[in-house]
Order: sequence, then C-alpha cells, then structure tokens
Amino acid sequence: MIKTIDFLNSIPLLIISVSAVITILVGSFYKKSTKYVYAVTLIALIAAIYYSFGYLDKEYLIYNNFLRVNNITTLFSIIALFAVLLSTLSAKAYIEKEEINFIEFYSLVLFSTAGMLIMIQSYNLITVFVGLELMSISFYILTGFLRKRIKSNESALKYFLLGAFMTGFLLFGISLIYGITGSMSYANIFQDTSVFKNPVFLIGSALFMIGFFFKMGLFPFHLWVPDVYEGAPTTITGLMSTAGKIAAVGTITPFIVYTASDNFRLIFSIIALLTMLIGNVTALAQSNIKRILAFSSIASAGYILVGVAAMNDLSIKSVSFYLLAYTLMQLGAFIIVSLIEKPAEGINEYRNVDIEDYKGLARTNPQLAIPLTIFLFSLGGIPPLAGFWGKYYLFYAAIQSNLIWLSISAILFSVISLYYYLKIVVYMWFNPPANGDVYKIDSMPSLSILIAAFLTFLFGIFPQYFFALFKTPFK
Amino acid sequence: MFADYGQILVFMLFAIAFVAIAFFVALFLAPKKPSYSKESTYECGEDTEGETWVRFNVRYYVVALIFIIFDVEVVFLFPWAVVFKELGLFAFVEMAVFLIILILGFVYVLAKGDLQWDKPQPVIPELKRQIFKVDSN
Repeated sequence: MIKTIDFLNSIPLLIISVSAVITILVGSFYKKSTKYVYAVTLIALIAAIYYSFGYLDKEYLIYNNFLRVNNITTLFSIIALFAVLLSTLSAKAYIEKEEINFIEFYSLVLFSTAGMLIMIQSYNLITVFVGLELMSISFYILTGFLRKRIKSNESALKYFLLGAFMTGFLLFGISLIYGITGSMSYANIFQDTSVFKNPVFLIGSALFMIGFFFKMGLFPFHLWVPDVYEGAPTTITGLMSTAGKIAAVGTITPFIVYTASDNFRLIFSIIALLTMLIGNVTALAQSNIKRILAFSSIASAGYILVGVAAMNDLSIKSVSFYLLAYTLMQLGAFIIVSLIEKPAEGINEYRNVDIEDYKGLARTNPQLAIPLTIFLFSLGGIPPLAGFWGKYYLFYAAIQSNLIWLSISAILFSVISLYYYLKIVVYMWFNPPANGDVYKIDSMPSLSILIAAFLTFLFGIFPQYFFALFKTPFK
Repeated sequence: MFADYGQILVFMLFAIAFVAIAFFVALFLAPKKPSYSKESTYECGEDTEGETWVRFNVRYYVVALIFIIFDVEVVFLFPWAVVFKELGLFAFVEMAVFLIILILGFVYVLAKGDLQWDKPQPVIPELKRQIFKVDSN
C-alpha cells in the first residue's frame, strides 16, 4: 500500500511528472503559452535538482519497494537532471530557429526526464522497463520532431524500429530472470547468490544487459548512434547523448559493480576495448561534425565501460565524475553546433554542420570558437580541463583492478581521438574563413555555454570539489 | 525449479502435435470441390470488389489508438471490480488516479482537435490514370 511518506520521499520525480502533465494540458488549450511553458520547465528542473540534494544522505525503499532512493541513485539523478537543464536552457533558441516551437517539445523532455528518474531509482525489473520505455518513447518522438525534414523522419524511424527490437531483448531477459528467481524485485533476485551460476539466469542477465548496451551505444549495438544523432534536432542529440546515456549507465553500473562476479570483468573489458576502437577510428574519417560527436560519444561509452569493468570501490566515483565532465563538454559542443547550424531551406539536409563550415570561425565568431575549443580539448583529455580528470579516474580505477592492458589501450585510443578533435580546432583557428557569417546568439544558449565552460574549468582545476559536493556516495 | 519447465515442454509438444494432426487429417479426408466463390476473398458473403490495398483515412488510426487505450482500461477495471469490496477505499483511489491520467490524455486529444473530423479541408488528389482494372468477366 502506498503511504503518504512515499510522496515526500520522491519529490523530484513528482515535480517532473506533474509538470510534464500540466505543461501538455495547458499547452493544448492555450497555444501561445510556449514562453511560460519554457519557464515552468526550467523551474521544475531546477526545483527537482534542489530537492534531490536533500536525499543524498538518505536510504529509502518507496512505493511498495518499487523505487529506491539512496546516495548513488540520487547522485546519478542529479547529473541527469543537470544535463536536461543545460540542454533545455539552450533548446528554445534552436526550436524557434527551426520553427518547431511547440509546447509538446518541453513536455516530452519532461516525460523523458521522468523516465530517467524512474529508471535510475528502480528497485524492480518492472520499474526499470517502465522507466526505460517512458524515456525511449519520448526520445523517438523528439528525434522526429523536425517532421518536415526527411533526415529527421528517417532517423526517428530507425531509432524506433531498432529500439523496439532491443526492448524485446530486454523483456525476454527479464522474463528469464523472473522464471528462475520467481520474483521481479531486486531484493529477492539478489538474495540468493547461488542462482547466479544458473545458465538460464546468465542468459537472462545477458539479454537484459544487451538492452542497456544498446541505449549506451556500446560496440556491437552502436550502429544506430551516428545515424540517429545526425538526423535528430541538434539540441535533442545533445540531450540523448548525455542524459539518456547517464540514465542507462546509472541504472546498471551499481549492479555490475556490486553484484557481478570477477569472471565477467574480461567480457566488459573486451566490449570496452572494441567500443573505443570503433568509436575513435571511425570518427577519423567523418566530415560532418554531428557524426564526429556521435562517434566521440560511442568512444566515451567505451571509456565509461573501462571504469565499470574495474568493478572496485573507485568505479562509481570515476564513472559519475566522467559522466558529469562528459555532460559538460559534449553538451557544450552540441549547443554550439546547434547555434552555428542554419535553418534548412529545402526539406532534406541540415545546413552548416560540415567541418569545412567551421573554417576561420575564430576570426568571425570568437565567442563561439573559444568555448568550442575548450570543449574539444576537454573531450580530447588535455590536462587543465574536466575531461582529463574524468579519464584519469576511470583509467586509475582500471589499474587498481589489474587491468593495465585495458588502461594502456584506452590511453592510446584517447591519443588517436585527439586527431579529430584537434582537426576541428585547427580548422577554426588557422584557416581563412569559409564565409563571413556572424551567428546570432541569444542570452539563454550563451548562459548554458558559459555554465558548461566554467564548470569544465572548475572541475578541471579542482576535481575535489565534485567529491566534496557529493560527499556521502564516496565515503 | 528448472525441472518444472518439463511440464510446459510436454504441454507445448501436445499442442503442436494436436494442431498438426488435425491439420493433416483434414488435408487428406476433406473432399475437394473448388469453385469461384470458394476461392475468392471472404468479404461477409458479398462479391469482392476492387483491391484490398486501399489507403485508409489517417483519422481512423487516431480513433483506433484511443479505442485501444480505453479498451485496456476496461480490461483493468474488471479484475478491480471483482476485488473492490475487499480492498475498499484504497482500490477506489488507485483506480481514480489511473482513470484521471487516462482522461487527461483524452482531454489533450480533444483540445488538440484531433477528433474533429471535418475541420481541415482535405486536398483531393487528381486521378491521372485508372488504378484498378475492372475485369468484365
């Protein structure tokens, strides 16, 4: 039976879901209320982050043991909410430029956020599934939000078909796990460790993992990532590549780290290695900046899996720090790409997203070139920036678990990645301008770029601030 | 635990065997007298006309989607009604929350005007060539 205390213990989730429903209702009756809906969305996200900080030192099971609130779930929830907040801040200018300024945009973003929170906080296989579907279905619609553009429609259809197929894997995995353990609740599944040796249980967990590996874009299931990221509206690409990934990683990382046996370390290591290889090597040959960032996000998923494969005390710490750093730099880069992109004249292509168009950007638009350079350096892992410390902690965690070969190859791959990041930087700073366009920047996107750039520097110079902010998960 | 699945396996084998036997027995025993009306597509006893591949109005899908939602709602309401007396107020509140969420979705569809059928003026495409060839015999 649901008690009143359950509502008090899940305030962020309630804020997000109620505001999602309210915005879609208000928006359908008052068509001109987009401005207020935007404000309500931002307020809801900020309020949810504010209340989440209160749960960092708590430990609850709520809604009949369907959801769990503790320090680790709250940590990942805060990072996901922060990613959504940053991308929503900058989204308004983009969707006005592309003339898709509908209320459903914000409300779908809020629905997907609610899905992320449910997923991260789940304590039952059913809640995992419900959260994942809520997030994914919102993302399918948002991917096709530029409904007059064929690229956007194509990517939405691809994403939907592949996503639905992978959901089948996930559900089959859940049904096998249920068949063996006779329960959906984690409390009962992990009660008896002898079941972990049962082959059917292992097949079930492997299928379950495949569903999440698809969402994270890991090696054998990464093929949708470049096409979907290229076709989706740019702010949505930023949202999917950061918040969606945080939700997927935040859901399964604690289970891999705390319950999987060391025998699986090799499997995760190999997947991580291949993901980094595919992501970084394929990115070298790309010329579309959205595709480059898509492959860089595949590579980042590989780095994250290095930390997960370590399976020691440092895993959660390093993965969460890298996720925050990755959010800042990847989302910052996508926001700048969305500002440089021009509204389409025809119905097919995105304009001004080729790296040739970034030539001489430093001369014509230094206010965009400087932060983009910071984000790209950070993605490449240049020392005084947050991305360096993110990779440092991940590889350090791997070394602690004697995965030295994996750490060395990860470092080599991140050296390879510098080529395509620095190619953009060289194009921006050392080439004559391709055109003399000066791009208009509204106050909200520049605010989110400023926040991202500032925090990239802050966590790069003082990484301990992050661990001081989230003290309890890292005791 | 795992051995319990043996019963399901036996059940499955029986099911497959039953269907297969019935199917093949019918194949061998049934008299075969094909005629024109027997071979044609079944359309409630009427003679078939035109192609099956016609384009439906997109609004049918909206109605179908809404129908499914409320259909599922009714499926949930039946077991709820059976145990309603034992659960009391709790069950009532739970179902009220569920219904309110569904009704909100319905209100959204209404407010968007998706159920108003004659509002948008459809552009009727010109028929340049005859699509269906009508057989005289």
